[in-house]
Amino acid sequence: MAIATDEELVRKSKEDDERAFGELVSRYESKVYSLALRMVRNPEDAEDVLQDTFLRAYRGIKSFQGASTFSTWIYRITANSALMRLRKKQLPTVSIDDAEERETPVNIADWTPGPVEQLLSQELQHEMDEAIEALPPEFRQVFVLRDVEEMSNAEVAEILDLSVAAVKSRLHRARLKVRNRLAGYFSDNAKPKRSAMGAH
Amino acid sequence: MLTCKEVLESLSDYLDADMKEDIVNEMKRHIGSCSDCRAEFDTLTMTIKLYKHEHTQGAQVMPVGCHDRLVKVLELEKMKSKGPQPPKMV
Repeated sequence: MAIATDEELVRKSKEDDERAFGELVSRYESKVYSLALRMVRNPEDAEDVLQDTFLRAYRGIKSFQGASTFSTWIYRITANSALMRLRKKQLPTVSIDDAEERETPVNIADWTPGPVEQLLSQELQHEMDEAIEALPPEFRQVFVLRDVEEMSNAEVAEILDLSVAAVKSRLHRARLKVRNRLAGYFSDNAKPKRSAMGAH
Repeated sequence: MLTCKEVLESLSDYLDADMKEDIVNEMKRHIGSCSDCRAEFDTLTMTIKLYKHEHTQGAQVMPVGCHDRLVKVLELEKMKSKGPQPPKMV
């Protein structure tokens, strides 16, 4: 038997076929949970976002017009739900308007030589987690969808209802914020030594 | 001729290969000859590599019971949306 497409399951769900909606849940729950967890960075909140997302999808499936795919629609609900949760918690983040990025390079220390595995200590992972957590929610959304979930600029723009230019600008600023945090970490801690890393 | 400011603003597009070829060549030339912009480029590239590597290591698996709790929440919603059920006839 052929596997039903998302479109078929959506059509059946609109006709109150609860098994069809259940199939959509099974198909997307892991992806929604994973996306939520990467945005809210806490398993309890991620589960709340998961439940909220499918509740809203259940309530709204009849008015879903199909202008976008079901996956784009469900990820949009997830991103909005996660954003609301982050705003409600008001974690100490940097303001979205905070222009901490430099316009000209200032002799930044180069900590890049060496394989990724060698640089990625537990301490650095913690530093990176904190850097991502400190991103303003609107930046974090773009960052997670683009760089972690590896969606295209166009997909992210559609999910977040932003222009592609806005996605690119937020992504660049988010990357710089994370990089600046790591640069601070490397300048405060043992900088990997080129000779040791590249020794033959 | 691109300035350092223009190069820094375009680094992400350059990394994502999301720019016209003639600008790519100018970016390449500038980064090749300006050590400060090269360090900016290298550290941004490594930052992206590091967090992508970290995220591929830890799978985001749904906790035990999470699916069942979701199903329960949706069942409650179904019951609510259907309104109070008439008493069963005996």
